[in-house]
Amino acid sequence: MATLNAAERERYSRHLLLPEVGAAGQEKLKNARVLIVGAGGLGSPAALYLAAAGVGTLGIIDHDQVDLSNLQRQLLFDTAAVGQGKALSAQARLQALNPEIKIVAHPVKLGADNAAELLANYECVIDGSDRLETRYLVNDACVLFKRPLVSAAIHRFEGQAMTYVPGQGPCYRCLFPHSAAGAVPNCAEAGVLGVLPGVLGAVQATEAIKLVLGIGTPLIGRLLTYDALDMQWHEFRFTRRADCAVCGDRPTIRSLADSVADEPMRGACRDLKPQQLRDLLQATGGGHITVVDVREAREFAAGHLRGALNIPVGELPRRSAEIPLEFPVVFVCRSGGRSRRACELAAGAGIKEPASLEGGLLAWAAMVDPEMQVAPVG
Amino acid sequence: MHTVRVPSPLRSYTAGAARVHARGDTIGGVLLDLERAHPGMRFRMIDEQDRIRPHIRIFINQREVNSLDEPLAGADEVHLICALSGG
Repeated sequence: MATLNAAERERYSRHLLLPEVGAAGQEKLKNARVLIVGAGGLGSPAALYLAAAGVGTLGIIDHDQVDLSNLQRQLLFDTAAVGQGKALSAQARLQALNPEIKIVAHPVKLGADNAAELLANYECVIDGSDRLETRYLVNDACVLFKRPLVSAAIHRFEGQAMTYVPGQGPCYRCLFPHSAAGAVPNCAEAGVLGVLPGVLGAVQATEAIKLVLGIGTPLIGRLLTYDALDMQWHEFRFTRRADCAVCGDRPTIRSLADSVADEPMRGACRDLKPQQLRDLLQATGGGHITVVDVREAREFAAGHLRGALNIPVGELPRRSAEIPLEFPVVFVCRSGGRSRRACELAAGAGIKEPASLEGGLLAWAAMVDPEMQVAPVG
Repeated sequence: MHTVRVPSPLRSYTAGAARVHARGDTIGGVLLDLERAHPGMRFRMIDEQDRIRPHIRIFINQREVNSLDEPLAGADEVHLICALSGG
């Protein structure tokens, strides 16, 4: 076990004063290897705190670039970093914060093909990703390769966190067995209070440190929720499901290829950018594409694409027969969430290769037609 | 009358309200009462086969609910939880 040098003893002196940490605990942190999936709103505070705390090896997975709109909440980056790769930019920031530790940048997209190799080098995983597909992949990888996982997610003013430890409690799939991407909006679609991921990311860092040190009571089998508007925390108990697809008694997900295949409808849906839909409509004169607007009638009445049918997504299962099948079907909504859900419902109902307008009519108004009136949700 | 806490992805149905009230002796009854007051909301949580959707969890106080027949007592609070994807 690595011992602390003089600079480290000074740097971590406030930890060394804590009987729960002390020199032995700090050495455990120095020997620890933690992987952070996503250098975003959650990954930023988690990485900063873990680096400051002296976690000896910190891996950062992110294949994205820093965008100006990230800076409202992603404290790893400053204005000069806009346009740079997130993993490498985060590595530089964290290394400057703590030169005593090793920061490993993984500028790749986590997938079924590389997750095993990436996880093999780490003993604990923090999920700060912003895509459901990645959340399930990370969970399944942690179950299959027996790695503790600290998971958190955010939406507008609300956050949730839980911890999975192999053999000690339920996993993320026990809580939410499956999610349709369109049913769960992300920050880009719904917005998020900038400070919110700071709170949840700090919870994740705390849990990771507790797991490394073996102290306290982790959030195993407990879902912690936070409502920033009410400034309230709640805790809910949940148990392992015997029928969980990955950690249950008869798992159907036995490899990461199974994990990806568990989302059958996702691959059947296409995303269309506003310019692509415009080109399609122009090329066909609008007559050979069926546009289905899945917003509520009140939103539809305020403004919609010419010739669009209006079937609110909640009515789609019983009204899907109203959709003509002779032309390609494109679903649209306000910001792209409901249309993605509609796409998956349509694919499940046998409509071939349905498409969804990415970013919804808000993106259409921003990129194609500024005259388009897009009503608030509801 | 039970207090029902609404997750933010479903607040478009409750005019932004984080807490609403509903009557019912069971979770199923409460959800039907919610549907009367907030049309369309139940379908976001319950599928055509009357099963709780897999990205939704319902808790009575702190206790997880796996059936719509789960009974409710007078002061029980219902928490609707939706999987979140943001990071």
